[in-house]
Amino acid sequence: MKIFTGCTYVLAVLLSSSVYGQQQPDSPTLDIGVRLQKSISLYAENGLMVQYAHPKLASNRLYLGLAYVSSRLGSAFHSNAIKQDSYLFSASYYYRPKWLIHPVLKANIGYFAAHYGSPIFEELPKTSLLLAPEVGLCYCPTIPLKIHTSIGYHLINGNGRSGPGTLYPVFLQTSITWNVLKRLKK
Amino acid sequence: MKLFLRLSALFLSVWACAPEPSITKEMLDSGTLFDPSLYNPANYLVSKALPTPTPEQAKKPVIIACHGYSATTFEWDEFRSWSAGRTDFLLSQVLLGGHGRSYNDFKASSWHDWQEAIMTEYSQLEKAGYQNISLLTSSTSGALVLELIASGYFVNHIKPRHVLLVDPIVIPSDKSLSLIGLFGPMLGYIETKQSIEEDKVYYHFRPQETLQQLQNLLTTVRKDLEKGITLPIGCDLKVYKSKKDPAADPVSAVLIYQGTQTADGKPVSVELINSDLHVYTRLKHRESITAQDQLNQTSTFSDIRQRVTH
Repeated sequence: MKIFTGCTYVLAVLLSSSVYGQQQPDSPTLDIGVRLQKSISLYAENGLMVQYAHPKLASNRLYLGLAYVSSRLGSAFHSNAIKQDSYLFSASYYYRPKWLIHPVLKANIGYFAAHYGSPIFEELPKTSLLLAPEVGLCYCPTIPLKIHTSIGYHLINGNGRSGPGTLYPVFLQTSITWNVLKRLKK
Repeated sequence: MKLFLRLSALFLSVWACAPEPSITKEMLDSGTLFDPSLYNPANYLVSKALPTPTPEQAKKPVIIACHGYSATTFEWDEFRSWSAGRTDFLLSQVLLGGHGRSYNDFKASSWHDWQEAIMTEYSQLEKAGYQNISLLTSSTSGALVLELIASGYFVNHIKPRHVLLVDPIVIPSDKSLSLIGLFGPMLGYIETKQSIEEDKVYYHFRPQETLQQLQNLLTTVRKDLEKGITLPIGCDLKVYKSKKDPAADPVSAVLIYQGTQTADGKPVSVELINSDLHVYTRLKHRESITAQDQLNQTSTFSDIRQRVTH
């Protein structure tokens, strides 16, 4: 128990060190990058994302974002996997802004569309609303880089009677972004 | 979603102590009831009933009917009853390995064991001289046969004429199966809600080890389909799939359609069935059946016969 408490203390000291972490800037943040997503036991779906934060919006800790991920850029690239696209609007909240690694809560809402490639399957469900909370950590060094990894859960998924069958519940994602509004110090 | 929440609750409450199932003697799981094909294989397997066919018998179409996960030969009994009196084909009902015996036998089996029984009957028929063999599957045995084709089993064997898949599973309807590797060891097993009559012909308890085997099989077949499966020369394939299915997601038919082609590059056939039953060809012991269900069953049996005998 003492070891656990000691490790937790050391970790907390390290993470809270403002020397390593990105200070929340007084200027807006515009992160642009890639989102790599993998449903547990199903497809890899990759794409692009952009997110924006402003000092007047929860002191630059609330990010509003857009993302597009598709199996076309993952499992369905040069394969027979089903082509499916997800369009996401997200709101993320970054905790502990002075830490090197920020805990992040994210809420996604969006639209899912699968493409079955034949009129035979016209009657099967192929589109869905997306509702997906995520929880994760963001590594934010002093350079404008962010590496954010999280686990998410699709509240709506296919169950054989409704919903697209390839919309799986649990997914892991990693996004790598660059704040294009921040200049590196020379 | 409900099952996932239940799994999560169990994850927290029974972290390291997987419970044992409460098996009664009235259940197939108990080891007191066995699949009848184990007592009288000649009543179920053509290789046992007619091990030395005449030249005329050897030319007759033989259908090897294979059941699904946790089921028994019972799943194709209605097809046998429907076929009674017909002399234009022979029916062989295979009991998959680990099935129809006991909970412990099932728990100890792998998907390779399940598949072995299909290969055994196929090779026995081939050795006996049968020349016109087709495969009829329900649910999981569809995945087993697709894997047989993808792994090249038929390269060195006589080619099957027809592969007929009733409600094949590649994508499960219950998506919590995707997390069985994480939650399974804590759960130990999953109980199935089914009638007392069904308890005698389907396992009531599903050991998590077998669910992991099922998940492994489905992942293997899905990846095979993503790469592309080409059927043996002279073989065709048809998928019969319920439009709504509580066990095998109907999107499984899409994956098979997109991932399989005949030897000459043609697409396979798919028929979506107006049903919300899993393995809609089995109606016995269902809580309720409609006129549409009966129509679906007989029209599929007729279609299977027509395909195999022409």
